[in-house]
Order: sequence, then structure tokens, then C-alpha cells
Amino acid sequence: MVQLNNEAREIAVKVVYYGPALSGKTTNLQALYQKIEPAVRGRLMTLDTKDDRTLFFDMLPVFFRTATGLKVKLKLYTVPGQVIHESTRRIVLQGTDAIAFVADSRRSEAASTLAYWNNMLKNLEANGLDYKTLPIVIQLNKKDLPETRQGDELADLRRLIQPPMVPAVAIRGDGVVETLFELLTLCYRSLDRNLGLDTRWKIGEREFLSRIFDHVDKRGTALAQEAGPR
Amino acid sequence: MTLPPSFLQQRLPLGDLLDLRAFSDVCQSFAELYRVGLKVFDESGNKLVDVKVGNADFCGYIWTKASGREQCVATVGRVKADAIPEAPSPTTVQCFSGCRYVVQPVLYEGDALGRVVFGPFVPEELDALPATLTSISPDFDAALAAGYMQKIRRVPQGTAEKILKHFLDLVDVMVFTGHKNLIAARLHIEAVQESYRELQEKNRQLEESYAKLKELDRLKSNFLATMSHELRTPLTSVIGYSEMMLEGLGGPLTAEQREYLGIIMEKGENLLQLITSILDISKIEAGRVRLVLSEVDVAQLLKDAVATVLPIARKKGLKVTCDPGHAPRLQGDREKLRQCLVNLASNAVKFTPAGGTLTVSAEALPGERVALKVTDTGIGISEEHLPRLFDVFYQVDGSTTREYGGAGLGLAIVKSFADAHGGAVTVASKPGVGSTFALVLPVRPRLEPALTPVTPATPVG
Repeated sequence: MVQLNNEAREIAVKVVYYGPALSGKTTNLQALYQKIEPAVRGRLMTLDTKDDRTLFFDMLPVFFRTATGLKVKLKLYTVPGQVIHESTRRIVLQGTDAIAFVADSRRSEAASTLAYWNNMLKNLEANGLDYKTLPIVIQLNKKDLPETRQGDELADLRRLIQPPMVPAVAIRGDGVVETLFELLTLCYRSLDRNLGLDTRWKIGEREFLSRIFDHVDKRGTALAQEAGPR
Repeated sequence: MTLPPSFLQQRLPLGDLLDLRAFSDVCQSFAELYRVGLKVFDESGNKLVDVKVGNADFCGYIWTKASGREQCVATVGRVKADAIPEAPSPTTVQCFSGCRYVVQPVLYEGDALGRVVFGPFVPEELDALPATLTSISPDFDAALAAGYMQKIRRVPQGTAEKILKHFLDLVDVMVFTGHKNLIAARLHIEAVQESYRELQEKNRQLEESYAKLKELDRLKSNFLATMSHELRTPLTSVIGYSEMMLEGLGGPLTAEQREYLGIIMEKGENLLQLITSILDISKIEAGRVRLVLSEVDVAQLLKDAVATVLPIARKKGLKVTCDPGHAPRLQGDREKLRQCLVNLASNAVKFTPAGGTLTVSAEALPGERVALKVTDTGIGISEEHLPRLFDVFYQVDGSTTREYGGAGLGLAIVKSFADAHGGAVTVASKPGVGSTFALVLPVRPRLEPALTPVTPATPVG
């Protein structure tokens, strides 16, 4: 759950990139690391113990201070996709505030994607998290490859909940910023419900998002046209 | 089930992220390179590193004057605790002595984890000792102080700031590396703990099912024991009354009636034997076997066993030999050993085709042991069945249409009785050639507490 430290006037938000092995979770974080200015992000930490492979995850901190002086610290994590990392996956998932589910959108990957999707819902329950209210966005990655799923073909992922879906080619950086934007929009609304960001802390949705996305290279993204000068 | 909170989101103090000993060495060497002092504080104001270069005499002299001491403490307090902007830029703190400090926060993931203080240094533009210093005491020796000040490095403000920035870049890498190592180690531990927790959960489930199975097994043994007993009672009457009729107690019989009664009696005996075996095995499984120990004459034992199977072996056309050898007398439960031999010999008869040979023999083995052997020239047993041969209910040919009868209890009983004597039963067999079962028994068994003899064993003489 989101950690709110009243005394230090800061909130810590945990965002997790979940998905099958090789679906592009780390690629997402690497692209974000390139696109977000150092003023609001730290180093990208990649943990990869090559010899035993029990640990594998990435972490990118993003932070800002609002006009009212509240410090917001977001940590973006990826979880290990390999099946053997079940316990690490559960530890990283614990207390998460928002999830980007990165799916390989090719038809050939449909079965393993669904398996991971269900595995995630199960692990969320094991962590006492309600996936019906948790902000979740599905990224349909690898859209540049042939044989990707369209519209109706994605019904299997929409059976229990209907998260927004964002197409992406993470390796080229396409859709990565849009995914984060979509996710943080949902995340803001969820935090607002739980903590009263707007009424209690005087942070509107617009400020929350612009504190980050004003420092993001939005060239070539859907946000570049719609946002305009801020 | 909710997992305990992870450390991943916790904020860590600077001292935990750095190896302080190694970090001190780096600071030392850095300060020596630039000949300027260096201090590092964590966010609570704890001093982690303090390297003094060149200012000891100067500051020491000022410290000898009461007012100097007082103002020095105030300056150090400002350097250490004054609020500074949470930004990657230096703040200058001016000392009343004319020296200067530059201070910058250690920023990591947007948090100020502490601060680095670079100084004191003498600003390049300082020409003479300021009045704020010379006035601290009437007996202040300005010439001496100026001499001491020579030992402190003179640096342009811009250079000092650059050096500080350079040092903070280094600190950033060290903090990042430290944090990464800490996360790797902690996550490893958490992952192991999590796996351990999962394993324990599975173990608990296994233990539960094992306990359930054991309970079921006990119930089954109880059921068998009770049922065998209940079956035996009416069966004895069936056999008894058949016998009475055969003896003519119910009036004269025709030859045909006599034959039929003979069959009823024979099959009744067979059934009784089978039920007795089941009773035996259920007693064994319930741990209720009691050995009645006495001196056993091996030759007599062999003869008794052979006599039991001889009629049926003859009927089948088998040659039976009995060779007691020179086996010594042994101490054991005569009835149970006889049953073992009868079981083995009956099997041999059952699985040996007409014209075959059955040999019951004894042999003294080294280590005060005796082997009682039953050898046949029967169909033999293939190797894959040997390990399970002595399991309860196990049968080499488990099919319902099998050629040979039996409940699969005989060998299990033999093994249990052999074990009870502290002995063993072994088998050597070759399909199509024959089998040899050997009952290896100690001459003087050492008994386990559960098998205490009813009559105490006589001491070895």
C-alpha cells in the first residue's frame, strides 16, 4: 500500500511492471530512463545475478515535490518473468499501488500471456490486494511484429476486469510514455480516493502528472499533440 | 494470507548504504589530494567522516580564547545543521576567522540523505585577518595566527565548489552501489525466507495427509483383525460339523456324500489357513507380535515343515529332500519359525511344476548365525519384482486371472517373523531355473523391547 509519511510530508508509491519473460518490462524501464530528465529520476538499478538467477529485477526511482511541499516518490519496478522466480515476484508485488502488465501481443504468445495474467491476479490476492480496484494498465507490446492480436482477440484478458490497453513498441520507445501516463492517471485517482490528494494535500491531477511529464521527452508520443504547452 | 512488509520501499540511512571504513579511506585520500578538510554527516546530523587537513594549529589557537571557542562552536553548528536547499548546488558558510566552508546535500532518489562539508579553506581574495577574528581577545597574536593560516589551503571559491561537486559525484556512485548490494542481499534473504515458508506450508500439508493415511491404515488393520476373528468362529463350526458327519455321528453316509464332505472340510481348512494368515499380518501390523522363545532343534523344525507340505508335494509329483546338515540348536519361537518354513515351502510347491525338486536344508553361518533354506526348481522370479516381494499383499502376478492363488501375505509374514527374531530373509532367483529363499537367524536373538519374550530367555551357557 502507498506509504504516507505525514511528518516528512512525503508519499511513496510503488509501480510494478509485470508480465511474462521477454515481454519487454526491462525495455520499458530503460526507455523511460532515457526519456525522463535526471531532475526527477534517479539511476536505473538492474539486479541480475547471472550465476544463480534467483534475483532479477529493475528499479527506477522518479520523484518530485508539489507546490504545497509534499514530496512524491514513485518507484518503478519490474518483476522477474521466469517461472522459477515466483517468490521474488511475490515479494516485489507486495504493497504495489499500480501495475503495468506488459504483454507480448503476438498470437503465438497468447497462452503464456494469459497464464501470467492469471498468475498475477492470484499473487495480488495472496498479497491482500484487490485487483478490481487496483490501477492496472495492459501494454500490448511488440506491435511492430507480424501476427499481433487485435480487439476481440484480447477478450481472454478482459474476463475479470477491463483495464485500459496501450499499444507499444517498447524497443523503439513507442507507447512507453503513454503507458506510464495512462497508469499514473489511474494511480493518481486511486491515491486521491485513499489519501485525499486534492482536498487534503491540494494536489490536482493535472499538477501531479505535469510534475513528471513536463520532464519527459514527449516527442513522437500521443501526449505531444494533446498536452500542448503547459 | 498477507506477507510481511518488504524493505524495498524503506528509506535507508546514509551510514547503512556506505561501508564506512572504506568510505573514510576514500575521503582521507580525497582530502589529502586537495589538502582541504572534509566532513560527512547523515540526515540526523551524525558525523560519519571527519578529515582535518592543515587547520589544526590555526583552529587550535583560536580555541584557546574563550570567545573564539564560543564562535567556533557556533560556526560548526551552522555548517552541520543549518537548513540547506535540497538541490545539487553548494551553500557557502563563512567562518568568523575569515575561512570558509562549502556545504552540499547528498541527494539520492530525491532524498537528502546527509551533507558533505568541504573546508575550512582560505578564500583566495582574503588579504588580512578579519576584525571578527582579531577582536576575539585583547591578547590575540595576529602574527602567530596569520602564520598558522598559511598552513590552510588558499582556494578560489569556484574551485572549491567544483571539487565539492566532483566529490559528490563519487559519493553518488558509492551510495548507488551500496544500495544495490543491500537490495540484492536483502531480497535474496527474503526470497529464501519466502521459499522456506512455502516449503513449510507444503510439509505441513504432507504431514497432515500422512497422519490421515496412518490412521486409515490402523483402522484397516483393526478391521482385518476383528473380521478374521469373526470369520473364524463360524468356520470352525463348519469344519467341526463336517468332521462329525464324516465320522458317522449323523448317521451313515454314501460314498458320494463322503467325498463331498471331504471337499467341504479341505476347502474349509484352506479358508481357515488364509484367515489365520490375515490375522497374523494384522497382528504384526498392529505391533502385537509376541515371540515365545525356547531352544529349537533345527533338524526337528525342518522335518516338521517338510511333513506339513509333503502330502501336497507328492500329489503334485515333486521330489522333496530334507538336509538338516550340522546346524546348531538355536533360540527362537518354534511355532513361528515352523510357520515361516511352511510358508516358504508351500510357495515352492505352488510354483514348481511336476517333476521338480524341493530341498529344505540348514547351514551354520559365521557370526553365530544359522541359515534355513528352501530351494526349488520352479518358475523363478524376475529381478524387477525382487525388491517388493516381501510387501504385504504384493504378488508377482497381480492380475485377476492369475494362475496361482494366495493372498500375498505369506512372505510378508515370513519377513516380519524373521525381523522379530533379529534375522532376515533373502532370496536368490532366476526365472525358469528356480528360487532359493534363506531365513538367516541369529543363534541367540537380541530382542527389541516390543518383542519381549513371554518366557524369559535362558542365559547362554
